[in-house]
Amino acid sequence: MRTAWIVYLKEITEILRDRRTLIAIGLAALATPIVLSVISQVATKTATQEYTIGYSGDIPTGLGELLGATSLKLVPVSDPAAAAMRQVDLGVAFKPGEIDEYYDPSRQSAQIADTRLRTVIGQYSAAQAAAALQQRGIDPGILTPVRIVARPLTSPVQAASNAFLSFFLPYILITMILTGGFSAALDSSAGERERKTLESLLLTPAPRSRILLGKIGAITTISLVAAIAAIGSMLVALSRVSLPKESGIGHITVSPVAVPVMVWVAILIAISFSAVTLALGTLAKTFRQGQAYVTPLYFITIFPASIILFIPDFNPSLAYYLIPILNAVLVLRDAIVHNAVEWPTLVVTSISLVATGALAWLAALRLFTREALLTRS
Amino acid sequence: MAVERLEKTLGKNQVLRGISFSAQPGEIFGLLGPNGAGKTTTLRIICTLLSPDNGTVEVLGFDTRTSPQEVRKRVGVVTADIGVYPRLTARENIAYFAQLSGVPDKELRRRVDAVIERLDVGSFAGQRAESLSSGQKQKLAIARAIVHDPQVLMFDEPTSNLDVLASRDVREFMVESKGRGKCVIFSTHVMHDAERLCDRITILHEGRVVASGSTAEVRGDGRELEDAFLELVGEK
Repeated sequence: MRTAWIVYLKEITEILRDRRTLIAIGLAALATPIVLSVISQVATKTATQEYTIGYSGDIPTGLGELLGATSLKLVPVSDPAAAAMRQVDLGVAFKPGEIDEYYDPSRQSAQIADTRLRTVIGQYSAAQAAAALQQRGIDPGILTPVRIVARPLTSPVQAASNAFLSFFLPYILITMILTGGFSAALDSSAGERERKTLESLLLTPAPRSRILLGKIGAITTISLVAAIAAIGSMLVALSRVSLPKESGIGHITVSPVAVPVMVWVAILIAISFSAVTLALGTLAKTFRQGQAYVTPLYFITIFPASIILFIPDFNPSLAYYLIPILNAVLVLRDAIVHNAVEWPTLVVTSISLVATGALAWLAALRLFTREALLTRS
Repeated sequence: MAVERLEKTLGKNQVLRGISFSAQPGEIFGLLGPNGAGKTTTLRIICTLLSPDNGTVEVLGFDTRTSPQEVRKRVGVVTADIGVYPRLTARENIAYFAQLSGVPDKELRRRVDAVIERLDVGSFAGQRAESLSSGQKQKLAIARAIVHDPQVLMFDEPTSNLDVLASRDVREFMVESKGRGKCVIFSTHVMHDAERLCDRITILHEGRVVASGSTAEVRGDGRELEDAFLELVGEK
């Protein structure tokens, strides 16, 4: 293993002197807090934003105050339907015993205003009905013969926080591992051919399998550093950024169980990606060509993370955990959402990712020992 | 070093068609031929980067097919493509190849220092390779090729990208290595260099040996080596 260690140290030295890799890691650390800050600001703005209702007719007694308290501003208009198309977010015509509502479903502001209006009207109607019953000496409780008393088993705030993290954290982890190791992997493979050092390297008596191990080790290290920088900055940002309480999210924290799972999965993904990108880079004659080969990996990795976003309750069978990357995303989600480790899925995921890395290493080794590697260049 | 009936096909092109020659310690052996004659392929087979389809190569008693690592330990190669690691210093480049060539840690510093002194690399040893001139890079390439003190040195068109001064340094180094008892294989198509440096030569043309012997024998009486070469490859 001495050879692998020699190659590892040399690769790390070169990587640390490479501006491209350092910029990638720096961006990885900066990008997450910036994205989170933007999300937080947009969410806060959406929650506290005032929406305008253009109305005609007489406002029922007390309703105006209720609407004002929920940031719905009433503006008199002659034609609520026409106004709702552009002038205001929502149009309302107050009639005796009826409210006609006009809105454009293609506008997000109209949808939010509609939801708020319906909530307020529901509360107003219930209060009016209760008052009328009380005047007649009847208990208003008859309006709700069966009441639901919600007793959440876990903190709803934490659950919402976990739901957010279960998408965001795997996504950041995977993309940053890939981003961090991308440049180093190509420099270490296609770069060797491009700057014509490959032949000299292969002329040494060092076993090629050890040379590759050293290279994979260095790329894995840099990938993990990028991922740690990104996740670390994300957690710092999450501890400072708070999302609106209305959505059930305050400060976001990672469950204690998720941390070791995240570290383990990050190591496996980094090893696997390093071997895959190194193998793809070995196929390329130049750094640019290598970029063309490796870039599709981004799309392949983003897809599984998106599944969690669109199907949060996706609970596949154990066989699905054999699919690399998807399995990492699922295991991370399970650890974050359920705050528990499901050992069978973790074991299958580990086997799958280690096998992917080993196969990619073997592929890279085959490429490294092919004569075409030299004669094609 | 002995090459026997070497054959090699790359793609659809039969590059070597049964060439044989041998080279001894303490001599500069010239491998001459026009572009595409098979010189580089021959050298790549000798240093184990390629495998022969037929025939054998023995270096200091080791067969390139059965003992490639033993061969690599005993061979140093300098090519026209001076590839160095740009973000490592000259010293780090040399040390890296010394380590990969099996130089023990306790001897590493002494061996690197010795090579740096021998090739006059000291003035730029601490500089990153990306900032070196072509001549300095070629010196660096030679340094890393000899840092493990190989018995056989192969130079594949080593001066083709160099200026006059740097070329002279390379030639002087080859002569010095011969004086140290090394077996020096020199592949070139510059007849003037071959004539001045080589003790024996083999001329390749279209994958075949068309002449072999001492430089004087191949040249013939009263002729320039270039004339003999052109005649042998059918251009005169």
